[in-house]
Amino acid sequence: MTANQTANNKPMVRAAGLAKKFGDFSAVDGISFEVRPGETFGMLGPNGAGKTSTLRMMSGLSPVTSGELEIDGIDATTNPRSVRDVIGVVSQHDGLDPDISVRDNLTVYGFYFGLDRGMAGRRADEVLDFFGLRARGGDSVDDLSGGMRRRLTIARAFVSRPRLVILDEPTTGLDPSSRNRVWEQLAILKNSGVTVVMSTHYMEEASILCDRLIIMDEGHILASGTPDELIHEQAGAEVAQVRPEEGQRDSVQRQLKDSGYEISEIGAIFTVRGENGSRADLSGITGARVSYRAANLEDVFLSLTGKDLQDE
Amino acid sequence: MNESLAERRAPGRFDFRTRGVAGVWLRHYTAFKGGWMIEMTGILLEPVFILAAVAFGIGKLVGEVETDDDGIRYAVFVAPGIVVGNAMWHALFECSWGAFRRLQTNRIYDSILAAPVSMRELAMGEIGWGATRALMTTAAVLAFSAATGLVESPWAIGILVIGILTGLMFGGFGLIAAAIAPSTHMLTLVFTMVGTPLFFFSGTFFPITTLPAWVQPIAWALPLTHPVRIARAFATGDLYLSLLWSLLYIIVATAIFFPLATRLLRRRLLV
Repeated sequence: MTANQTANNKPMVRAAGLAKKFGDFSAVDGISFEVRPGETFGMLGPNGAGKTSTLRMMSGLSPVTSGELEIDGIDATTNPRSVRDVIGVVSQHDGLDPDISVRDNLTVYGFYFGLDRGMAGRRADEVLDFFGLRARGGDSVDDLSGGMRRRLTIARAFVSRPRLVILDEPTTGLDPSSRNRVWEQLAILKNSGVTVVMSTHYMEEASILCDRLIIMDEGHILASGTPDELIHEQAGAEVAQVRPEEGQRDSVQRQLKDSGYEISEIGAIFTVRGENGSRADLSGITGARVSYRAANLEDVFLSLTGKDLQDE
Repeated sequence: MNESLAERRAPGRFDFRTRGVAGVWLRHYTAFKGGWMIEMTGILLEPVFILAAVAFGIGKLVGEVETDDDGIRYAVFVAPGIVVGNAMWHALFECSWGAFRRLQTNRIYDSILAAPVSMRELAMGEIGWGATRALMTTAAVLAFSAATGLVESPWAIGILVIGILTGLMFGGFGLIAAAIAPSTHMLTLVFTMVGTPLFFFSGTFFPITTLPAWVQPIAWALPLTHPVRIARAFATGDLYLSLLWSLLYIIVATAIFFPLATRLLRRRLLV
C-alpha cells in the first residue's frame, strides 16, 4: 500500500459521460462519478440498471462506447490492459477452473500476472489463509460449497495485490450465513486500504459495506452520496407504513394522495415518506393502521424510481 | 512497474507479452499434469490400435502400395498418415471441444481476460497447447512405429516438427469452431464432418491417385493432405522439392486461422 501514496489525492476511478451501447440500446447512458482511493464504492440498482456494463468497462472486458474512463490514472478507453495490471475482478460467474485444484486456481492466476512459480505459490497460500480455504487447497473446485466458491473467486482477485478490486454482485445467490462470511472478509479487506467498487441489489449489503454509493436505474445515476446522506435526503429519517383495514384500500389511497406526501404501494402496504427529513404526519388517516420505521436504501430507491429494488 | 509504464506509452496493436501466452500454456500444463497418466494412456493406445489393425491386419491383404517411383509396404505407407492424423485429432479436440468448455461452460476465458492477458495471447496459448498435445501424440506414435519397423529413414525425426505444425494449423481451426459454435452440438459436427473425412481422405490410408479423377483436386485442397505428404517423405527418406508447396500451404493456413480465431473470439467475448 506504499506505492503511489503521493498520488492519493487523485481519484482511483474517474468516469465522465461514460456510455455503453449495444446496437440501439443504451445500457449505460453517459454517467459520471469518481471513486477515491481507499474507499468502498457501491452501485445500487435493479437488474438492467447498467451496473454490470459499467463494471465490465472498468475491467477492460467491454469496449467503452463513448466518454472518459480513468482507473488509477490510466486511460481505460485506450489501454484496458494496463488497467488490468492494477485491478482484481470478481465477476458474477465465478469463472473458476474445474480442471485444476483450488490452490492451482490461484497460482495459475498469478502466472497470468507474470508472477513466477515461487511467488505465485506464496501468494496463493497467503490468500488461501486469509479466506479460510487453506484446508481445501488440494480439492477440486467442484467440491466447494457456493459460499466457498465465491470466497475463492474473491481470493483470486487478490493474488496480484491489486490497488482496486471490482466486485459484481459478490453475494448474489448465497445463503445468509455465507453472505455474512463474505461481508466480514470484505470489511477486513476494506480496512487494509484497498479500493473497492462493487455492485449490488441488496440494500443491506450497500449500507453495511459502502462508504459512498450511486443509485442507478436504466443506465442513469439517480443519486449519489453516503448511505446516510441518501436516506436522509431522499426518504427522511423514518417512513410511515400504512396498512389499510379490510375493504379500505381505495379510501386510504385517496386520503394519502390528498395528504400530499410521496407514497408508494408494495403488496398491501403503503409506504409514506415525509418531507425535509421529518416523518409524515398521518394522524388524520382513517381506516388504516399507521406505524413508523427507520428509512433505508430501499425507500431511497422507491422514492427515486417508484420501483421496488428487488423487482426482477 | 517499468514494464507497465512502457506500455502506457505504447498501447494498442503491438502490445504483446510473452508471459500472457506462457500463463495460458502453464494453465493447460497444470491441468494436464493432474491427470497425465490417464491422458498419456489415451494418447498412446488409440493410434496404436489403429496402427496395429490397419498396418498389420489390412496391410497383410494389401501388400504393396504404388507410389511415384516404386512400391512400399502398406504398413510403411500408412504409419506417417496415422501419426499426423492423430496430431490433428488432438489439436482439434483440445482447441475446439476443450476451448469451448473453457469459453462457455466454465467461463474461464472471462477470468483469464480479466487478468492482463490479451485475446491474442490467450488464442496463442490455446493453439500453442494444442500443438503441444499434437507433439506428444506424434512423438508417442512415431516411437511405436519406429519400434515396429515402420520407419525407414532417420529423417523421420523431422515428423516431430510436422506434428507441431499440424497442431498449430488445426489448433487454429479448432479455435475458430469454438469461437463460433453456439453449443457443443456444432462441435460434434466439426469432428464428424471435418475431422473424420480429413482423417480418411487426405492420403492417409491410400494414395490420392486412387481416388476418382474429379475428387483428386478436392483431396489436394484438404489441409491434412499436406502434413501427411511431408511426414511420409520423412519416414521413407524420399524427400523432393515440391514438398515445399505443402509446407507453404500449412504456413499460409495457420497464418489465416490464427488471426481469424482471435478476431472471432474478440467478437464473441469482448462486447
